[in-house]
Amino acid sequence: MQHRRHRIAASAAAALLMLLPGAWLSPPAHSAEPVNPLSGFSIGGFNVGKMIDAAKDAQGLGDISEPQEIQIGESVAAGLLGAAPLDTNAQEEAYVNNVGRWLAIFSGRPDLPWHFGIIETESVNAFATPGGNIFITRGLMQRIHTESELAGVLGHEMAHVVQKHHLADIKKHSTQGLFLDLAQIRGGGGLRGDAARAFARVGLETYARGLSREDELEADAIGVVIAARAGYEPYGLASVLQTLATVPSSDADMALLLKTHPSPNDRLVALEQKLPPWFDTLAKPNPALARFNQTFKPSSASN
Amino acid sequence: MRRLPAAFVIIAAAFAPWLAYAEPAITIKAVDLKAQAASDAKTVASLPANTSVDLVERQGAWVQLRSGNDVGWGKLFDVRLAGANTGSTKGGAKSLGDVLGLASGQRGASVTTGVRGLDGETLARAQPNPQEFAKLVTFQVTKEQAQTFAAAGNLAPREVELLK
Repeated sequence: MQHRRHRIAASAAAALLMLLPGAWLSPPAHSAEPVNPLSGFSIGGFNVGKMIDAAKDAQGLGDISEPQEIQIGESVAAGLLGAAPLDTNAQEEAYVNNVGRWLAIFSGRPDLPWHFGIIETESVNAFATPGGNIFITRGLMQRIHTESELAGVLGHEMAHVVQKHHLADIKKHSTQGLFLDLAQIRGGGGLRGDAARAFARVGLETYARGLSREDELEADAIGVVIAARAGYEPYGLASVLQTLATVPSSDADMALLLKTHPSPNDRLVALEQKLPPWFDTLAKPNPALARFNQTFKPSSASN
Repeated sequence: MRRLPAAFVIIAAAFAPWLAYAEPAITIKAVDLKAQAASDAKTVASLPANTSVDLVERQGAWVQLRSGNDVGWGKLFDVRLAGANTGSTKGGAKSLGDVLGLASGQRGASVTTGVRGLDGETLARAQPNPQEFAKLVTFQVTKEQAQTFAAAGNLAPREVELLK
């Protein structure tokens, strides 16, 4: 019975793929496989996750190779770092990189050149670029109290990378000429300076404008699963959202986050609906994670 | 005064941000307080929606709540911290704290330094800083380092399907 259902699903999906323009062209160059609702399910040796990815590529991202995505991401990251510099505390940066790199193993794109950084701004926010650069602001770090909460935030940002949310938005808002510049790096080598600056500008505009509500809620739901797969109790993100819900909306440090995301309360309601009751069993106390407070000393200013 | 074992003191210190104070919170729906953090535990008290409580401790999906003499466990999603904004619009929603006249949650206190934050204008003006990106790369850790870090934190991989 199950076999039969799989076969029907596979042929239906194959038929669907053939109907999609461009779906039969060369597969995407990236080797890693994004997390999506069906990844990991192999149907008769035909990986459904890849299949969905190909369908997504048919919508316009298939012509961007992974090396190109990484170059775009580096340009956007350099742009963001032009707006807010890195925290220079190597211990803090190492901690965030360790948590992030561990999570990445479970993201569906484990082999991207993942980089994580705390950036010095009081604004409460976190950012992801295509290709695996993730930033969390000092303002948000000051409101995070546990490693599980940190994992929840990083998981959310990681989900944006895996689902290529920003990449799709950047492509949508870029000129064709800019994408011609990408062709030069198909076989390696970096972007020309002016192209890098142009991608930085488009990427930062994406941050100012925000992604769709659907993208944000999807990132919450996938991020929670990434954290749970990595062994974290999966309610860290919810805990952060509860804290963020208390920051007055008049607080300037919250302005961009609130402008570009559903309200923390809405995200809590959506997450509650998505989390099955058995997720409870994934949340065992873990005293080893008290190490968080050795690197990130509770600050009386923010508590 | 009874002396506390050193190990307990160290662990308590590590959890200090959680133990130092009970956070004022409010139930957003009727909550059955459970004797333990489990749905099948005994109900010790039932609180109606909009009850002011103290959030004493967190444990995954559960939060330990105190209301008068009643102490028990409720669901994280069934409470909001005092002062929480329960609106759904972007930016202009009314704070629950404003409505109920509650003090703003301690954890949500504003941090200001006078430095301009990351807003649309700052992002629009930003000049790319490739040197800073090079610095970011130096912070990268290997997969093996991350695995060592995870092992020290008692983090073991689990199979979890994506949510429907």
